[in-house]
Amino acid sequence: MEVSFSKEVDQLRLGAGETLHGEGILAITKALLQSGVAYVGGYQGAPVSHLLDVMVQAADYMAELGVHVEACSNEASAAAMLGASIHYPLRGAVTWKSVVGTNVAADALSNLASPGVVGGALIIVGEDYGEGASVIQERSHAFAMKSSLLLLDPRPQLPNMVRMVSHGFALSEACNTPAILQLRVRACHVRGSFECRDNVAPAVSRKALLAEPARFDYEKLAHPPATFRQEKLKTEQRLPAARRYIVEQGLNEIFAGRRNDIGIIVQGGLHNTLVRALQQFNLADAFGAAEFPILALNVTYPLVPQQIADFCRGKRAVLVVEEGQPEYIEQEIATTLRREDHGNTGTAIHGKDLLQMAGEYTVEVVAAGLVKFLARHTADLPLAAAQDWLAANAARRQAVADQLAAPLPPRPPQFCTGCPERPVFSALKLAQANVGPVHVAADIGCHSFATFEPFGFGHTILGYGMSLASRAGVSPMLGRRALAVMGDGGFWHNGLLTGVESALFNKTDAVLLIMKNGYTAATGTQEIISTPDEAQKAGAPDKRLSLVDRNQTIERTLTGLGVSWLRTVPSYEVDAMRRTLEEAFTTGVGGLKVIVAAGECQLERQRRVKPWLAGLLKAGRRVVKVKYGVDADVCSGDHSCIRLSGCPTLTLKDSDDPLKVDPVATVIDGCVGCGLCGENAHAATLCPSFYRVEVVQNPGLAERALAAIRRGFIGMWQPA
Amino acid sequence: MNAQQPITILIAALGGEGGGVVAEWLVDIATRAGHPAQATSIPGVAQRTGATTYYVEIHSQTRVELGGRTPVLSLAPVPGCVDLMVASELLEAVRAIHNGFVSLERTTLLASSQRTLTTFEKLAPGDGRFDSERLLQVAAANCRQLASFDVAATARETGTVPSAVLCGAIAGSGVLPFARVAFEEVIGASGRGVEASLRGFALGFERCGAALGGAPAPTLAAQADLIALGHARVVEFQDAAYGELYRQRVERLREAERRADPQARHGAELAREGARFLALWMAFDDVIRVADLKSRAGRFARVRAEAGAAAGDLLRIADHFKPGVTELAGLLPPSTGQRLLAWEGRRRQAGKAPLGLALKLRADSIFGFLALRLLAGLRPLRRRGQRYAAEQVLIERWLAAVEQAAARDWQAGFELALCARLVKGYGATNERAKDNLRHIVEHLAHKDAADIARARSAALADEAGSGLDQALLQAGAPPRAIKPVPVRWFKAGAR
Repeated sequence: MEVSFSKEVDQLRLGAGETLHGEGILAITKALLQSGVAYVGGYQGAPVSHLLDVMVQAADYMAELGVHVEACSNEASAAAMLGASIHYPLRGAVTWKSVVGTNVAADALSNLASPGVVGGALIIVGEDYGEGASVIQERSHAFAMKSSLLLLDPRPQLPNMVRMVSHGFALSEACNTPAILQLRVRACHVRGSFECRDNVAPAVSRKALLAEPARFDYEKLAHPPATFRQEKLKTEQRLPAARRYIVEQGLNEIFAGRRNDIGIIVQGGLHNTLVRALQQFNLADAFGAAEFPILALNVTYPLVPQQIADFCRGKRAVLVVEEGQPEYIEQEIATTLRREDHGNTGTAIHGKDLLQMAGEYTVEVVAAGLVKFLARHTADLPLAAAQDWLAANAARRQAVADQLAAPLPPRPPQFCTGCPERPVFSALKLAQANVGPVHVAADIGCHSFATFEPFGFGHTILGYGMSLASRAGVSPMLGRRALAVMGDGGFWHNGLLTGVESALFNKTDAVLLIMKNGYTAATGTQEIISTPDEAQKAGAPDKRLSLVDRNQTIERTLTGLGVSWLRTVPSYEVDAMRRTLEEAFTTGVGGLKVIVAAGECQLERQRRVKPWLAGLLKAGRRVVKVKYGVDADVCSGDHSCIRLSGCPTLTLKDSDDPLKVDPVATVIDGCVGCGLCGENAHAATLCPSFYRVEVVQNPGLAERALAAIRRGFIGMWQPA
Repeated sequence: MNAQQPITILIAALGGEGGGVVAEWLVDIATRAGHPAQATSIPGVAQRTGATTYYVEIHSQTRVELGGRTPVLSLAPVPGCVDLMVASELLEAVRAIHNGFVSLERTTLLASSQRTLTTFEKLAPGDGRFDSERLLQVAAANCRQLASFDVAATARETGTVPSAVLCGAIAGSGVLPFARVAFEEVIGASGRGVEASLRGFALGFERCGAALGGAPAPTLAAQADLIALGHARVVEFQDAAYGELYRQRVERLREAERRADPQARHGAELAREGARFLALWMAFDDVIRVADLKSRAGRFARVRAEAGAAAGDLLRIADHFKPGVTELAGLLPPSTGQRLLAWEGRRRQAGKAPLGLALKLRADSIFGFLALRLLAGLRPLRRRGQRYAAEQVLIERWLAAVEQAAARDWQAGFELALCARLVKGYGATNERAKDNLRHIVEHLAHKDAADIARARSAALADEAGSGLDQALLQAGAPPRAIKPVPVRWFKAGAR
């Protein structure tokens, strides 16, 4: 795992009255324990990876409490895990990245929501929307509506987030309905503090086992005819029960204003943004006290019609601040008011007509909507401050763009230094130069960075583990074979079945390239079933070597399924990989051809290597460090090496040679000596300026003597 | 500053630089001092060396002063409302400015002067780097006050990571209401590498203080005598006679320029720049040249320094060579060399891989060193080789074209002279570059200076040459011929 959470694990033990300082997602984790959660599962993915990572690393403490923790193979398996709460009084929580994870989980979620739960079931989703998001932009809200799940969107302040976890469980139990707790990217990473309560060991747990399984109860099955009754239960009993709880426990917060003729209804998660926007008008103070009342919805589904009607009563106009599209909340509010009093409530409802429809609601976006809203419904409020501020922002951006005269180059993420996947794409670039361009079905994972410069590979991305499946309709139509790229993370998440099994069953002619780096690396190098185990890592004499070849689960699985054309090529062997790709593209052999690019995630290797080398050096032992370099006087500055690599440590510097105007290539500190530069120089016949240098620290006597002889001889003949 | 408003700090960093650590430290410092504080970030996959930001808000009153009231802190920075903008890299500082966060009235900007080039900037066959001077000017012109120094170098000097230096700079900026010791306490409590962190903190503190307000002075390089340098390069490459040939060619450039610009209104720029690229071209990189450069004492010392080897460490240098048929043919007499090249060309057309011998030569071993010196010793044979002859033919064509163009228009001659910059690289890259130059000389030499300049820039901006073809078409010249590519395969059963 990429991040160590030892400090955070300690904080999970804090008791009543103590203060926890940390990230939002850690606060949520602690809140789960305070709520007596009995089982936890999920699938990693930013921005909620840390929740599961902390739990996995806190295995000892979880065992102490009797809590079961499971790293699920995908979101569907995590959602299905909540099935435990259908019959048993077990509080369970699962987590994943949304909307993508919710999509994967949707089947199990529907089948969970229909029978409902007796133990509180909480789904913590990282709403990956807006700046910093890495997935398609859609709302999770629709899932709550269609399956009648509860949706919590807490005001992003640690004490409130913790409060909503505890209420989430109780609410879920009060209405026998699973609840989704939605956290935006920044809320997951918000660093603050809150006062803890004691953790609660679950009544039924791994330490306090149930003697007997639940009795057979057909009504708990998502199976006809029970499903017909369950659908009615949702609207007739469960949602009304939920609304009662929401009102009685005051889950939604009303912040009073100085005047009551207008008001704002806001998703809880956007409350801070709204307050900061109002401050641009001088209509709110630092503590959130505003000119007019604000209804902050910590629960965004279901809404409570009575609460909405009460809030709107007597107001000329209400603005609904709701991020993303379509505007589900606004539509429901409009319907609610329309049904009241023959539709004659006299309250105008605004939202997406004044606020931008799609995209993240930043302070600027909200302020721009507020300007329009206030201009229409108030005559006495000063708008100049905010209007000036908005105009100044626009003017400033324009002025800076003019000063720059050229667009700033973007800086997307890229393969890490020494990443084993970069060489594979170098090989693909070379192979395509020989055999012509191929259709590349890309996938989710680190390898999708190949869509950026200097590679620009990938025609489609259809979801995690979907690459092979996504070329099923394409490859029959193309003269050349299509290539599907998949990581081992995607392979186990989904790709094995949706891709490999389907291709084999249909006897498709296709090429699959699996990046076997040993981890789900893009989400934080979590372990999977094909990860080399700890004993192998501890036992490896040279910690620098890739260990992924020690675990053959992928290869055995493929062979077992009936893949007969299977090649494993070490990732860094560019020329061998190029030849293998060319063979796969051109061979007369039909059917599925799989190439496994084997090379362990460099982040994980460096985690082993750094302490190992430091220990050797401390003990005065012999250490060989490898680095690559470029001879500046041989480099002609054409940068073709960079167009084939893109390594962060292979960069440019001004030439020392006054005759050369173009910058020359250089290898900077941080090079891990992966060998790609040398491999590319050979495979692509680049240029002779690359060298590999080995620095031998604490050398032995014999090699010192040999070196002295060499130096003496060379010194005699060497020109300056 | 309004006592009720938070102090806002935006940190722009690259994934893996420790921007999150700085944010964490700031929250700790504020919390210890009794101020409500909050930090957020959006790392996501940007942690993989992409651009990312961290945002901190610290309420200016302490909890005691607040008396139980809780301020609402924002999770995202607000344009124009940032008190302190910190960037570990110059382009990222300017990106934040471009996004509107930095205010002329309000924001103190701490920007590292160092550049970490984006991949995009590194790709161009020419120089695709964004102008650093301009970045610094934009940074200085758009904030309340700027402190700029090299954060990465400061971290290296003190044996620590950028986060410690940035924290020192933040303390040194005086924007936050906390004493230096408060920062040092939090860093001291952070666990690993504390001593190095504190050293980096101290130097960052000092350099920020020194840099605040003082505008960085632009460095002006002295004009080198390019013609003398070029002559020396060519003589070193071959011999005095070759140097003489260089002088004659430079004289032709001078003469052409004198006729085109008798008043020297352009400061003899055509001859100067033409002489620059002529020298690089005449001293082309062949096996002999590379072997010579690779086996020199100065090179061994440079490698040792770049590898960061200490005094007692041993060094092993392995060079990656892959001489092919082109390199061999280049050394043979022109007729033999041509036949060999033609044979290789036929092989390639038949879809066979180019022949080449991948070598990893230990330059520091006696065998490897002798092999390199032996190759370097072939220098007298170079003049009789095919490559030498081919280069001279193309140089003469270019030179004649420059003369003709200059006779028509100084600017056109100048632009054409600059086109020799295209000639660089090895192997296929070098061939492609020369094809481009040949095409420009053939089809654009009689066109407007602007057309030539556009074609040159396009050729230097992208290797594939689609920009060049467009520039050619725009100038009314034919695009480059499409090279025949052998059809190597089709899917089983298709066609």
